[in-house]
Amino acid sequence: MEITLKHILPIPLKEKLIQKKSDVWNTNQTFNSKEWIKIKAPSGTGKTTLIHILYKLRLDFEGQLFWDKKNIDEINEIELATIRQQKLSVIFQDLKLFPNLTAKENIELKRVLPTPYYDENMITTMAEKLGITHILHQQTALCSYGEQQRIAIIRALIQPFELLLMDEPFSHLDKANTTIAANLIAEECTKRNAGFVLTDLDDDTHFNYTQQLSL
Amino acid sequence: MLFTLLKKIIKTSAGKTKFIMAFVGLSVALLLILLAIQIQANYHQLLNGKSNADSTANFLVVNKEVNNNTVNATILSNEILTKLKNQPYIDAVGNISGGRFKASIESLISSFPFYTDIAFESVQDEFIDVNTKDWQWNEQANFIPMIIPNMFLDIYNFQFSISQGYPQITPATLKMMNFKVNLYNTNGQVQSYIGRIVGFSDRISSVLVPQSFMNWANEKFGNAATTNPGRVVIRTKDPGNPALVQFLKDNGLTTDADKTRFSKYRQIVNVITNVSWLTGAIMLLFALLVFTLFIQLTIASCKEEIKLLITLGASPKQLQQFLIKQFFPPNILIVVIALIIITAIQFILYKILLAQNIFVSSLISFYTVIAGVAVLLLLWWVNNVTIKKYIKGK
Repeated sequence: MEITLKHILPIPLKEKLIQKKSDVWNTNQTFNSKEWIKIKAPSGTGKTTLIHILYKLRLDFEGQLFWDKKNIDEINEIELATIRQQKLSVIFQDLKLFPNLTAKENIELKRVLPTPYYDENMITTMAEKLGITHILHQQTALCSYGEQQRIAIIRALIQPFELLLMDEPFSHLDKANTTIAANLIAEECTKRNAGFVLTDLDDDTHFNYTQQLSL
Repeated sequence: MLFTLLKKIIKTSAGKTKFIMAFVGLSVALLLILLAIQIQANYHQLLNGKSNADSTANFLVVNKEVNNNTVNATILSNEILTKLKNQPYIDAVGNISGGRFKASIESLISSFPFYTDIAFESVQDEFIDVNTKDWQWNEQANFIPMIIPNMFLDIYNFQFSISQGYPQITPATLKMMNFKVNLYNTNGQVQSYIGRIVGFSDRISSVLVPQSFMNWANEKFGNAATTNPGRVVIRTKDPGNPALVQFLKDNGLTTDADKTRFSKYRQIVNVITNVSWLTGAIMLLFALLVFTLFIQLTIASCKEEIKLLITLGASPKQLQQFLIKQFFPPNILIVVIALIIITAIQFILYKILLAQNIFVSSLISFYTVIAGVAVLLLLWWVNNVTIKKYIKGK
């Protein structure tokens, strides 16, 4: 999976961003399965906007975006579903969990949407690693943000992918839990030969990044 | 597993009352439509079924109405004869040709004396409801075969014989008797033959002789050139067809009213089935509308959930399959229930009519089942299109 950006500028932030120098906005950039990329940026510079654009959640931008050389405008809803099931996974900053489902059901949903990559036991294995086994059968709405974030991380890792998008994935986790979660993510990406794009506010050493970009 | 999870996410119970209303409406609509088809099928069977065939019902003797305008002018024109032949509901037209000579008939037995002037008619054999090997004539024949209306014998046995003090006669006895048939040529010279009654007809109220005899006698004794007939026999699948009755009326023709009386019943049945059809169709339309609205409502009330599912990579196909599985099975149930009810009604009808010697099938018609399946397909299509449309909107 390869995402190519050609002079992308989100329309709502256009005036603000055009004056700044950026490694991503209004330039040519490629994210692929070979690279672990960190994008560092302060609040309000469009980290979430970028992740949403890369995931084809929003189309209000100038420039061109390609998924595996195909212009994103030409990707129909069937291809979109296939790519999101097979090649491109995501951890949203706002997590996007179903509040009325249990933690396990939220993860299970993502496991069975595509042809399952892992069997059901893997949910428990991952939950054990991240220390959330006790809330697996609890309704997500009743879980803490930290727990919800770990559910979202496992959900993103339970499916097959070639590229993983992460939007401040550790924002609700303490240092120890962040390290554990980062290790799991690194392990899963290595296993799949997958790349990732991670956005965050500060510098960190959670991963061996191949590139560190600023937004 | 996916559907179990989707069921928790997409709540289809949003408009339960509406769903029940749609369910009931659809059931009634379907019942009316299928009943209309079944009634038509039954009626068709009653008209054309072999077990219900009535030998006289399908043949009508048609002639001009005799009134002040048509007195002595009841000959049917070529135009009318052609018109008759061209009507889709008239299968065949047989000319009844009359004798153009004077004739009389008298008894040869003194204990049963009678004498009467008489006129013969003839018609092609295929229109005669008497089947006997005696129904043939040539110049070497020993007697002239005749068919008389059943009614004549009844008049004799129940009126004439009683009032005159004569013995009653059975049909078999009458058939054994010889009569003297006198034929007169234009000069009044008489020639006598032996005549014998070979059968009794319910169809044509006339003294019939074989066509071959009529041709011969007309040539030998006849007084004028061949003319068009004044009466014809028509064969029709359905004497009760309102179109036939209307056609006869429009052309100043008349026939045995008894045989066309079904026309009135037929019209009533038609009205009932049409009303049933129409009501059913309108109800189906409304029920479909309510169903569509129900689907729309469900999808609208789960807008956010469906959006998130698509964000997570759910394919439109997965969602459609899931929603169809939620909405469609009740429709199958409705069709099955409607068919079961109609089967029950049909069986009861069969029992009731059987007691009156009227035969309809004890099972529902093939067309009714086909119609049920067709409605089911329509429902599936409507479900599918609606779901597709509203998912796309999300």
